Amino acid sequence: MPGGEPPVNPPLLETRNLEFEYPDGQAALGGISLRIERGEFIALIGQNGSGKTTLAKHFNGLLRPTRGQVLLNGEEVGERSVGDLARTIGYVFQNPDHQIFSATTREEIAFGPANLGLKESEVAQRTQQAMDDFDLTPYANLQPALLSFGLRRKVSVAAVYAMRTQVLILDEPSAGLDWRGAEELMRRVADLNRQGHTILLITHDMRLVAAHAARCLLLRAGSLLADGPTRQILGKAELLRQTDMQAPQITELGHRLASRGMSSTMLSVAEFCTAYGELKTGGEARHASRR
Amino acid sequence: MRVAVDLYVRRQSWLHATDPRVKLLAVAVGLVILLAFKNLYVMLTVLIGLHVVHWSASIPREKILFVWRTLLPISIMIATLWIVFYPSGTPILEFWLIKVTPLSVAQGLALALRINAMALLVFAWLYTTDNNELVLSLVKLRLPYSWGLVLSLALRYIPTFQATYGMISDAQQARGLRISEESGFKRVRVMMPIFVAMVISALRTSEDLAKALEARGFGLVGTHRTFFRDLDFRGLDWLFTGTLLLAAAVMIYLNLSYSFGQHVLRLFP
Amino acid sequence: MSNIIDIRGFGYAYPPLTPDQEPTWVLEDINLQVQAGEFVSILGPTGVGKTTLCLSLIGIIPQSTGGVIRGDVWVDGLNTKACSVPELAQRVGLIFQDPETQLFNLTVESELAFGLETRGLQPAEIEERISWALSLVGMSDLRSRSPFHLSGGQKQRVAIASVLAISPKILVLDEPTSSLDPVGKAEVFSVVRELRRKQGMTIVMVEQELEHIAEFSDRVVVLDQGRVKMEGPPQSVFGHVEQLKAVGVGAPQVCELADCLNKRHQTDFHFILLEQAHKALADHLDARG
Repeated sequence: MPGGEPPVNPPLLETRNLEFEYPDGQAALGGISLRIERGEFIALIGQNGSGKTTLAKHFNGLLRPTRGQVLLNGEEVGERSVGDLARTIGYVFQNPDHQIFSATTREEIAFGPANLGLKESEVAQRTQQAMDDFDLTPYANLQPALLSFGLRRKVSVAAVYAMRTQVLILDEPSAGLDWRGAEELMRRVADLNRQGHTILLITHDMRLVAAHAARCLLLRAGSLLADGPTRQILGKAELLRQTDMQAPQITELGHRLASRGMSSTMLSVAEFCTAYGELKTGGEARHASRR
Repeated sequence: MRVAVDLYVRRQSWLHATDPRVKLLAVAVGLVILLAFKNLYVMLTVLIGLHVVHWSASIPREKILFVWRTLLPISIMIATLWIVFYPSGTPILEFWLIKVTPLSVAQGLALALRINAMALLVFAWLYTTDNNELVLSLVKLRLPYSWGLVLSLALRYIPTFQATYGMISDAQQARGLRISEESGFKRVRVMMPIFVAMVISALRTSEDLAKALEARGFGLVGTHRTFFRDLDFRGLDWLFTGTLLLAAAVMIYLNLSYSFGQHVLRLFP
Repeated sequence: MSNIIDIRGFGYAYPPLTPDQEPTWVLEDINLQVQAGEFVSILGPTGVGKTTLCLSLIGIIPQSTGGVIRGDVWVDGLNTKACSVPELAQRVGLIFQDPETQLFNLTVESELAFGLETRGLQPAEIEERISWALSLVGMSDLRSRSPFHLSGGQKQRVAIASVLAISPKILVLDEPTSSLDPVGKAEVFSVVRELRRKQGMTIVMVEQELEHIAEFSDRVVVLDQGRVKMEGPPQSVFGHVEQLKAVGVGAPQVCELADCLNKRHQTDFHFILLEQAHKALADHLDARG
């Protein structure tokens, strides 16, 4: 906006009518406007090809808008380099093997902080912290490429976490992990969110979305179809059907029992259980407020 | 840098239907013959002929322009170097030590056009032959099947590796790796995280690929391998081959005995 | 006894990375029998050896990987240590996790033709099998497409078709949907369900998508620390939620719910599918009046 009022407490991230076209003219994003505040835990959902990753890559400068603006702390991202933006926006890619190259896990995790030009002692401290937080210290001197997939996944997340960026974008972090692996990883991520980091989770796993994300951005064919609290979005059965999204079993079950008294959208087994208990004893099912 | 490995333009035409072995022969023979000629009028004729070939094979205009555009830097360089270093006859222009003469301009132009003609010849083959046919034609010409398979796998996976390179480059840059600031050897060193991750990825891919090949039955001994889509050498293909070899023989004879086409402006010096 | 797969006391250790190390045992003592026409799902935490087991069914382990093996794996009466891999591949169709490396030909059609050309079949028969296999997986229109331009779900369906064209008796799928989006997953499960129904093939499927597994497995086998920890129809295995969580595999959400309700509200629910849960809870609520 030319002239205009100086932003007082601008959102952490903002897009204004963001449009993106590939070099061959193919449209990928059409006029997306949204605001993300510090400390949020947001899920970016939608089918493959809906533009989730394309949108996320605009936040750290990997892609530049064809039209429209991307703002960080109220200032346009403009031509700031990816390396520069990496101080604030951390991006964990879907395939950990696209990142891992070092001889030891310790070096791998130190790579990011070292690129930020920090003092050696600071780099070492952050590396150790990240390894401790992700239970990777036993593997510190092993070659990360030879570790199991679950461990490589943790290494790739720890490696970006060590950069202590305010924002952490995670692209399908649970893909290929077993139940326990996904649970442990997301628990760590939730810890980071509680410490104040802003989390942007790109995922197909609606169970994770229901369990961890407070807010959902639903994309379809490059447009932002819905933006709201997770409970609200998962409650819109018709919207989910239109976008070929599948609500978690527990949510779907709750909707099917709506006529018998399950009046709100269930997000977890525990919630459902409590609500069912209340229903059984004759009261209207109320969901326990989570956050 | 994107290396295009799938140049095939899917159309129906006489050239598409021609056996790829004949096309390969035409390219080989054509390139050799072209190198024996320097005449400007010959080059112009050949170029017109090749454009007719492309047009009759339903190759879109953009594809033909692509060849010209790609070769433009080299064409200009060849013409310029010739003009600068091989002046002959009375100059029409002079500056510093450079003498520009009409003859050298004509020759420079002829040589530049020759490169374009050679490229258009090669692309006439590549635009009308799909990768499967291409590999099959080599195998039918006695290339061992396993070599053909390696070539086929390379053509199949080059785009995949290009995509992987893009993703790895993005991922490492997102961790603060800065690549645009350096140049030369330093740039190569700085890009090591990308190269190493690419190599590891290539190793994983080849291991998985080997298992996939085995699971599909590759390595079965004692059975003669068949070809589902085979190449059919039709009467027309024999006709083309015959005509091609005859024309080539005539050209070579004229070139060697009468110096036909060896002078830039006089057909029979 | 029509055990089409018979695994007895099977253990396997990969060759060590450096000569001075000991081989690491991945599978210790696997005992498993599969009857012809059964649909068996294999679950287990990552790294437990599910892929190792799949590769063992086709002889790639131990013939191409070396290492140390104990016990026996019999597939359709053949021993995987003795019979050649191509011969075993005739009976066992293996679908891998990564669509990219198992579609190694330049077009869908040549992908399906590959295994048949290798076996020396004539073009007419190859054509018949290609048409049949593509129609089974719903990919007949995309015959001349390059694999590079297919979606994940389409790629895996082509992989299944190229294996089906060989007419194996057993289909082994190693986490075929783990790299796919929900649409792709649904496509693959739909194809597998149809194959089960129409062709009556023996299917062994390793998966993490528990909610689909619960739907159409005859039997569920849970691996843990190199052994078979739990085995039985989905109805019984998925009832042991705590044990499944301890193994690291988890359970379908409705099973967790049944477990939770039974513990907290003294109910006796045993549903494992969404439809079952719906019916059971609706009836229960209605009974309260």
